Amino acid sequence: MRLFSTQALAIAALACLPFSLSQTTAAAEAGPQNAVQMTIDFLTRDDANLRAIGLERVRYGLKGEESTQQLAGLLPRLAPARQLELTAALSDRGDRAALPALLALLQSSSDVAVRATAVQAVGVLGGAPEVAVLTKSLAAADPEKSAARRGLAVVRGAEATALIAATAKQGDADLRSTLIDILADRRAVAALPDLAAAAVADDATVRTAAMRAIGKFGGPDQVVGMVQGVLKAAAGGERDDAERALVTVCTQNPRHEQSATIFLEQFKSADDQTRETLLPALGRVGGAGAIAIVDGLIADTNAAKRKFGMNALTKWPDATVSDRLLDLLGKVQDPDERELLLGALIRIAPLPDNKLNNQQKLDLLQKTMTLCTSDEDRRRVLERANAIRLVETLRFVVPYLDDPNLAEPACLSVVELAHHRNLRDANKEEFTKALDKVLGTTKNEELVDRATRYKQGQTWERKKPAGS
Amino acid sequence: MAYNSASLDKPLETLKSFDWGGDIAAFEPIDAAVIAVHADPAARADLEKRLAALLGAGTSRAAKEYVCRKLSLIGTAASVPSLASLLPDTDNSHMARFALERINAAEAGAALRQALGTVQGDLKIGMISSLAGRGDTACVPMLAAQLTSDSRTAVAAADALGRIHTPEAVKALTAAGGTSDQAVAAAIDDALLACAEFLLQQGKRSEATAIYKSLADTAAAGTTLAAKSTRLAAARGILACLDTTTPS
Repeated sequence: MRLFSTQALAIAALACLPFSLSQTTAAAEAGPQNAVQMTIDFLTRDDANLRAIGLERVRYGLKGEESTQQLAGLLPRLAPARQLELTAALSDRGDRAALPALLALLQSSSDVAVRATAVQAVGVLGGAPEVAVLTKSLAAADPEKSAARRGLAVVRGAEATALIAATAKQGDADLRSTLIDILADRRAVAALPDLAAAAVADDATVRTAAMRAIGKFGGPDQVVGMVQGVLKAAAGGERDDAERALVTVCTQNPRHEQSATIFLEQFKSADDQTRETLLPALGRVGGAGAIAIVDGLIADTNAAKRKFGMNALTKWPDATVSDRLLDLLGKVQDPDERELLLGALIRIAPLPDNKLNNQQKLDLLQKTMTLCTSDEDRRRVLERANAIRLVETLRFVVPYLDDPNLAEPACLSVVELAHHRNLRDANKEEFTKALDKVLGTTKNEELVDRATRYKQGQTWERKKPAGS
Repeated sequence: MAYNSASLDKPLETLKSFDWGGDIAAFEPIDAAVIAVHADPAARADLEKRLAALLGAGTSRAAKEYVCRKLSLIGTAASVPSLASLLPDTDNSHMARFALERINAAEAGAALRQALGTVQGDLKIGMISSLAGRGDTACVPMLAAQLTSDSRTAVAAADALGRIHTPEAVKALTAAGGTSDQAVAAAIDDALLACAEFLLQQGKRSEATAIYKSLADTAAAGTTLAAKSTRLAAARGILACLDTTTPS
């Protein structure tokens, strides 16, 4: 009884509201006077503020399936721009009771924006029964395709995951590859056996997607399958991508130590040809077990084996092999091998997680510099140096500002080091001198701007890469 | 750490001549004592008395600010007279209010109400704000009287009544509607909306709706942005009142 009087009072109150609310009042008084009706009336208004009030109620109020159905039932009566608003609000509302209306909208609307929003909402609210319709939308053009991809990534339930995995087993390679990426986004652990099978599929697109997916969340149980994936991958880009996925599982994912051990066992039990293929990945994984194998290969009298071993060594993920690299660099005669080893040292020395402290990193880089025989190599050393944020690095780099052939990379490193305010402020005098020298040396306008700003204690914002 | 009154002799003496920018490390024993007396009423009373004694003449402004901050934490009715004596003082009024606003004693509210009747200008607006901060329902008639005062004071009074949001506050605000001062009218609308929001949160939908209706009536003929905003807020409120499915 009290509820009725409250509503009556409120509706009577609306009668006193001017602007376009007079029609609202009429609608509310004529119908089953309730908040749903008033909300629906607000949603049809031209006044964006009134619609916002209605949409707020759709999102956060009017609880219950019946209300949801009534609100969603408004969709066919709205113009596309209003359909977009209501669809997004119904998606945020999170009530599955809106699904039939959203699916009907998808059936009937040809407006691309409406279709995309509806697809996304179906994904958010839907489950296994909606996987088919979402999968169908993957074949559409963007933005519907992207919405379908996002929708399939969030559609609820293990049954939905199983359906996506089953659909990914057959059909068009591009569709399979997309579905595999979606399974990866869903972190679909139950689908890992299917992904392992796809990693050795006949189609390279499918194989690549499967390896990429397993790389995102695979563990020890997937290593054997991934090894097969690496072996099946075509030499070149696909093999490289497959190796990276395997290396991620063995060096970064949960239980990576166990994964690395399994990979090592796989390697040891393989025939020579297989070992040859897996050796670069073994080098990238690194570790004590792997180094013994690589040492053996480098010491082999067979030139081909030695070369494989050296290649693996140059891919090592940390500086634990720096002594070996330096030792080999002192012995090799072949210019290509020398280049390979030097490149590895320059890459490894300043790596953030290479198991050395900053001073050790700088020592290694300085030692590498003494072994360089060309300005091109010295240039690379100078360019890598700024990753080691020490004032000693500045002191190492500054003398090269006077070398016409190396001045520009030295200028870059001085400016990069100066970018770090704590380092710069703690050694202000040295940095000011070095930046003055940069300003008198570099021809690079950006470096001039940065050096000038840092000298004045100002900041500089790094431009984001295009497309990011 | 146990409270030791004698150990505060030197810090309290130093405090008298303290100036901003000076060494505050000397007052660490006082800070520690404020914590130590938390569960010791006798010690707390002693510390309060010693601090309040510094609020008279011969103590720097910075020291009085420090003392007010401490009394806001441990003060009781015993500190109120000393703090109240600062309320008409332009330099120290705001810090005295800072303490009085937070002291859980009826005497603190009474002191602010008494000062409201005697001070003028910014100081009066400060009293109004602090009374609202305390949620002082006893001051509603005084605030209602201020709604016809100068524009700035009336706006402050309206805002305070919105924060106090009792039925009496609503009545006072409604009665003051129709003022020709646009700033005051807008403040009254805002305050009534605040009252209605509060009532809705309390589940008092019919009372809230009545306020929204009153606001809609008032703003019905308005063409200003403020009037339109009020109408929209009223529409939103009425819809929320109607939505009995959603917890308010």
